Amino acid sequence: MRKVIAILPLVFTSLLVYFLSKPMGSIPALGKLLDPVVGCWASAESVNKNYNNKLQLDGLKEGVIVSFDDRLVPHIKAGNDYDLYYTQGYLHAYFRLWQMDLQTRAAGGRVSEVLGDKALKFDRTQRRKGMVYGAEQSLKAMEADPRSKQMLDAYTAGINAYINTLSFKTYPLEYKLAGFEPEPWTNLKSALLLKYMADDLTGYTEDIALTVLRDMLSPEEFAALYPERLNGVNPVIPHDSIRQTASLSAPVVPADSIAWAHLTATDFEVEEEGKGSNNWVLGGSRTKSGKPILCNDPHLGLNLPSLWYEVQMTAPGINVYGVSLPGSPGVIIGINDNISWGFTNNYRDVKDFYAIRPVSATTYKFAGKEQPYINRIEKISIKGKPDYYDTVKYTVQGPVMYEEIFHGPGGLKKPIAVTWMAHRPSNEVLALYMLNRSGNYYEYVAAIHNFLCPAQNMIYADRHGDIALWGQGQFINKWRGQGRYVMNGADSATLWGQNIPVAENPHAHNPAQGYIASANQTVTDTTYPYWYNGYFYEFRAWRINDVLRNTRNATVEDMFALQNDVYSVLASNVLPVMLTHITPNEITDKERNYLNMLGSWDYRLMAESKAATVFQVWWTNFYAALWSKRFGKIPDQLKPSPERTMQLLKEESPYLGNIKDAAIASLRNSIDSLEKLKKSDRLEWYKAKNTSVKHLTKLAPFSYTDLKIGGWGNTVNAAKTDHGPSWRMVVQMGDAIEAYGVYPGGQSGNVGSKYYATFLDKWVKGEYYKLSFYTADAKPAATYTWSINPKNK
Amino acid sequence: MKQTFIVSVIIVVLGLIFSLFMSGMWIAVVLPLVIMVSMQIPGRRAFGAGFIGVAFLWLVLILIKDVPNHHILSSRMAGLLGLPNSAMFILVNVLLGGLIGGLSGWSGAVLNKAFRK
Repeated sequence: MRKVIAILPLVFTSLLVYFLSKPMGSIPALGKLLDPVVGCWASAESVNKNYNNKLQLDGLKEGVIVSFDDRLVPHIKAGNDYDLYYTQGYLHAYFRLWQMDLQTRAAGGRVSEVLGDKALKFDRTQRRKGMVYGAEQSLKAMEADPRSKQMLDAYTAGINAYINTLSFKTYPLEYKLAGFEPEPWTNLKSALLLKYMADDLTGYTEDIALTVLRDMLSPEEFAALYPERLNGVNPVIPHDSIRQTASLSAPVVPADSIAWAHLTATDFEVEEEGKGSNNWVLGGSRTKSGKPILCNDPHLGLNLPSLWYEVQMTAPGINVYGVSLPGSPGVIIGINDNISWGFTNNYRDVKDFYAIRPVSATTYKFAGKEQPYINRIEKISIKGKPDYYDTVKYTVQGPVMYEEIFHGPGGLKKPIAVTWMAHRPSNEVLALYMLNRSGNYYEYVAAIHNFLCPAQNMIYADRHGDIALWGQGQFINKWRGQGRYVMNGADSATLWGQNIPVAENPHAHNPAQGYIASANQTVTDTTYPYWYNGYFYEFRAWRINDVLRNTRNATVEDMFALQNDVYSVLASNVLPVMLTHITPNEITDKERNYLNMLGSWDYRLMAESKAATVFQVWWTNFYAALWSKRFGKIPDQLKPSPERTMQLLKEESPYLGNIKDAAIASLRNSIDSLEKLKKSDRLEWYKAKNTSVKHLTKLAPFSYTDLKIGGWGNTVNAAKTDHGPSWRMVVQMGDAIEAYGVYPGGQSGNVGSKYYATFLDKWVKGEYYKLSFYTADAKPAATYTWSINPKNK
Repeated sequence: MKQTFIVSVIIVVLGLIFSLFMSGMWIAVVLPLVIMVSMQIPGRRAFGAGFIGVAFLWLVLILIKDVPNHHILSSRMAGLLGLPNSAMFILVNVLLGGLIGGLSGWSGAVLNKAFRK
């Protein structure tokens, strides 16, 4: 008996250690996590950390100097291209490894490997939409050009040089929390990351919903509520810049019975929208300095670690500064010695759907014949479970995304194949390589013509005074209407035809109006000779054009103000109409109190405005009430756009039903929500909308919420709940380039670093950093320096 | 009392050296056990010495990281574990170390006794 008791302490100790070193469910191995030497504490970085470093790295060709400025932005000076991208890879990994790893796993549908089977549906979606297939196609193109191949090879080698230095102790904290390990980087991962962006920006599936809506409504009704082109828009490309000749003639429109498929869906799944962006450029005629000013603020998911990483890259033939995407080599948006550029999403539709007519389990009908599917077996590894095998059938159109075994939006079981520009080979890496080195308009044009997907409105200004914008991407010469709805996959007439030569993409170069602005609105007016459709937004473009049209002697400060503008064009148009339908004696005192708040409101969604909250709540309910009869349970995102609704409202269109009833009922409905907000002291607009910048894991202690920022998706400062201006940049292209920027995050991805969210405060306040762009003439002293040398073999 | 103190100090000093190449968990498991096996200390006191020694060792190791970090990481980790502040997080963490060290020390004492027989 005593002997038994004697071994008890040993048993206790062993059991305790055993349980502490094993993850349980979603709880990580606590013993490892709380280990004071190798656990989370290893990520606690001294606030006075001296970042100076001397490194010897394998594979580097010559010595490299990295000078960090006081914001921890690295300025890389390398002797050749290889070393330049190698060092960028090393830096990305050093500061952002976990994020790059997770995002590329997400892109390629490999999240289940680390999070278990709760991510299986997500992974299958990624695989079935052909993300890996598309990345493989693009990688072939990227590796076929020696410049982009070297760029990727060097970048990958740099990342792996850093990964090879790691042990459990030095892993980013998130690996310890989630219990997985970094794996070697590959060029394919960089290609996947670019496809991730393509999917984020062109991956919408509204064709399917539109197909159902078309069949649900009468043709007149559908045309009125979902016009192919909205009237009264300010297109990206000014009318006089549009070249009205086309080298390709418009393809013949097939008969409706051949062209279209018909679907029924019982309900809809809606993807969260909110991606958008603004960019504009003023020519010297409109600025005080007489030099162009270029502005850009891409709106993307607001996350930590931030999507962006600031960097300057210098080597013979290149001196570029801007934001880069951890996971991809080069600078995406920025400036070099001569030019500046920025992107907004173009939103022309480059993803179309086909209803497939299966003949047997292995064949489908196409062009009158029975065709075999080409199967691609997707192996999905799942943490703690056996591998899952998903067979994706490829037709002439592309992968069958949805079918009986994997339902589409609204429970669609019909096999639907997708043709998507992101499946085609394209070399965006080369586009960035050339763009980063461009010295004038023509080099910029040559560079961006390699950028095929996701299509972007690429804005440009240079020190010679040129301004320009290209709606750049690879587009198809479509027959009128092609791809607007799900097409009949059995007929060859619905297949995509020829590529439109990229030189014929809509563009403006020094237009007479003296400025160019894009904010995801319609790209051109109808004089552009090629037919296209898209998913355009107009409110921000209306506002920006209204401001810029009257702008003379602009300064960078004026541009800061415009990027932070929160004027709601929607409110200024619809609120007066809504108010005319309210008769004072029909409402209660409580309702009157709220309405009184709107009386003196200036239509600005300011952070502290309570009137803004009243309007936003009322409008949301009003919009729902206007369409409730006609659309029933269909979610808001699929109803006629707010832009179109606003127009119909002003026309008092009969399609809206009884506007007065809707106004009163929706006001009544709003009082409950408003009272709730008031009681919890959340009536101020920023509290009501709660703009948050969350860690990618959504863990609250790593995230920031209730940020005191105004605006909404339809104002220029498009700070929504979890999407918003991910990088604000303003550049004046004088003899010396004056550049300003800020992003809602920090240079370090380490939650235990003081550089984790350093810039957030300024971003919230609408302030900017002056970017420290090193040139041959101006090279400020570095705060920290890395000197890197090749390892002696 | 004196013995407990001395053994604790030995654990802290050796532990700090070992922490240069060993994880805090291994130190907590192995060090008190080895010390108690090689010294003749009654079980209860062995537990106490292991507990105090490792708790103090972990506290030192943690403060070396936490103070220069201005509690950035510990505050976030506290939030993750639902604890009110970084001090509480450190306390929990240190107590965990102490528990392992105590059990390990006790085991050492028991083994010592077994060998002596």
